[in-house]
Amino acid sequence: MTIPGFILRNALRNKRRLSLTVLSVALSLFLFTTMQTALHELTQPPTSEDAALRLVVRNKVSLGNVLPSKYRPRLERMPGVSHVMKLTWFGGIYKDKANFFPQFAVDADQLSPVFSEAEIDPKQINDFINEKNACDVGIKTMQRFGWKIGDRITLQGTIWPCNPELIIRGVYRKGIDMTNLFFHHEYFDELMGNQGLVGMYWICAENAGVIPDLVKRIDSTFANSESETKTETERAFQLGFISMFGNIKVLIGSISTVIVFTMILVTASTMSMAIRERSREIAILKAIGFDGWQIFGLILAESFGLAAAGGLIGCFGADILYRHLDIYSLSHGVLLKLDVTPSILAAGLTVAVLLGIISCLVPSYMSIQTSVVDGLKELD
Amino acid sequence: MAIPLRYNLRSLVVRWRSTIATALGIALVVAVFVMVMSLARGLNATYISTGDPRNLLVLRKGSTAESSSQITRDEVRQIRYLAGIARNAAGEPIASPEIQVLVQMDRIDRTGTAHVLVRGLGPVGIELRPQVQIREGRMFRQGLNECIVSQRIAHRFVNCRIGDRFPGGKAEWTVVGIFDAAKTAYESEIWVDADEARAAFNRSFYGSILLRPVTDAASVTALTNRIESNRDLSVRVLSETEYYKEQTNTGAPIQFLGSFLAIVMSIGAVFSAMNTMYASVGARIREIGTLRVLGYKRRDIYASFLIESVLLALLGGALGCAFSLPMNGIATGTLSWNTFTEVAFEFRITGELIAKGMVFALVMGVLGGLLPARLAARKPVLDALRSI
Repeated sequence: MTIPGFILRNALRNKRRLSLTVLSVALSLFLFTTMQTALHELTQPPTSEDAALRLVVRNKVSLGNVLPSKYRPRLERMPGVSHVMKLTWFGGIYKDKANFFPQFAVDADQLSPVFSEAEIDPKQINDFINEKNACDVGIKTMQRFGWKIGDRITLQGTIWPCNPELIIRGVYRKGIDMTNLFFHHEYFDELMGNQGLVGMYWICAENAGVIPDLVKRIDSTFANSESETKTETERAFQLGFISMFGNIKVLIGSISTVIVFTMILVTASTMSMAIRERSREIAILKAIGFDGWQIFGLILAESFGLAAAGGLIGCFGADILYRHLDIYSLSHGVLLKLDVTPSILAAGLTVAVLLGIISCLVPSYMSIQTSVVDGLKELD
Repeated sequence: MAIPLRYNLRSLVVRWRSTIATALGIALVVAVFVMVMSLARGLNATYISTGDPRNLLVLRKGSTAESSSQITRDEVRQIRYLAGIARNAAGEPIASPEIQVLVQMDRIDRTGTAHVLVRGLGPVGIELRPQVQIREGRMFRQGLNECIVSQRIAHRFVNCRIGDRFPGGKAEWTVVGIFDAAKTAYESEIWVDADEARAAFNRSFYGSILLRPVTDAASVTALTNRIESNRDLSVRVLSETEYYKEQTNTGAPIQFLGSFLAIVMSIGAVFSAMNTMYASVGARIREIGTLRVLGYKRRDIYASFLIESVLLALLGGALGCAFSLPMNGIATGTLSWNTFTEVAFEFRITGELIAKGMVFALVMGVLGGLLPARLAARKPVLDALRSI
């Protein structure tokens, strides 16, 4: 019998225990992968080249305060600015409060130039621009409510006292958050009695080099005016938004630590059970000339294999599962998707490997320390 | 006759290494469950404890939060002097038109910024909230752009200590007092004078009116009807407690996280309990045989092993609850989607939550023990005795 064969036989001799242990390691690594992926999705907003050129201008006081719409021509005239789009969070209700999805009033003709990564049929863009109460909707929201192009929907304002009646004219399928709904800011203004208010301005810079100056210029232009502005890159804006949720990193980080710790406990305890059972065999191995390191190697290989098998099942299982699940509706809209990135997979597998090593340390030490005579005396 | 409990206890003690490892595994699952649920519990408790059932809140029709509601000055004038509103000692109607503005502030731990709710109100509004008590400093005075902040806000955000100043709209606000709001939602607020807030933040509108009707049920309904049926007023009336109850959906994602973790982790813990129990059965086959010879029935053996597994799980459950207890009362905060502001709250570990954690451990123990106990009960006596 070869050494690898010996290790394999040992590992397989109690199939029930083997499968229970592998499964519990797999479950823990599944959870670990899930938590890390969720953390990644929540704290690392997706970036694209187009997004790097976008700036967000909002009221300095807070997101709950608006800006005058008369700022727009002044922003457009600034050097380095290629597009300016009004964007107002509508926050309406579609039929029921539970049907939440993001809705924005925007300058219809600027939507495509500003969010250039959003994939949409060019004909649909024109339809959207040419009809006052048209709206563009992301594919996820379309699917969620079973909408099709040409459907009429009514949103009931909660922040703004108006109820826009919209016709779906375009569907975008890729690129940006696919749950958004965009409609004409002009129509919104009309419903609101042209009060001249805008939530934010989203600006496209001509190139990345002008951004630092542009940020300073915008904020200093409107300093000491009735509404002072705060300008930041889209990424800084999103990160700031995320920080409002509180310390998610600490929460998820500590839960992940507990999971890993639990895993070590479970695997280490299984390994010690497996090794205590064979203390007589280990004593015989020693008696026929295996030294401490060789015995450690045998135990390590078994524990390593067990943890690695669990790790592979858990990490890749999570990956495969999340590719096929509708995360958006499952998480009540908190998460858009769960993309298990290669680096998270690598982290998960590293944890599994370390687990395999750590959990066999104590049991192997104990069995190596036991003398041949004591080992042979053991009954079970 | 049942096998004495002492037999199970001793067996757990003899196998102390696997007992500890398995119990700790279950303990950690229970601890995570209790802690995450105590977050949701604390958040809900904050909202539920806020609001006085005697008060009514007037918001704009269709609006779900005070901070996104608008009430015109004309509406305030019409509502304030309606019959059916109680009067205070000075003879004024107890109706408080208020304004809510979000102000972005930096966190003290430098982990980012958050929106804090600034509430502009007058003396009547303060009178309506007796749970708010000044702990340090004094109440704000009109005309000086002074403000008072809650203890929790003072702990969580920069420039919120007495004497500090922070910008908000066109004004600079000076902190003159720190208040304690008995763990209600007001613990997440900064209070200023209503008129000063409207001037500083350029608002011609108010956000809401909090009022106290004269105290009998008939007149409350009459007042509500009078306000809601008036076609000049685009408002809705709800009781203050009802309003805060609506806000509790903020905790839903946390609750989801708690249940998800509990379910997945508990499956892992059940597997580990099964492993331990199988090993325990395997090592005691001769003992099982002896017990059978002594006259114990199969079902006694079955019950005995199941009880042992449950004991093990309950030990874990108790440990887990003990681990989570230090979190009780620790302050934290999150974003409320309704008001779009930071809501400060604390982990709240209630007796009910502890009980749930223990029941959860019990279920894990039963599930983990069923199959190994069955195996033990089914061992033929002779085989069992013969095995070494």
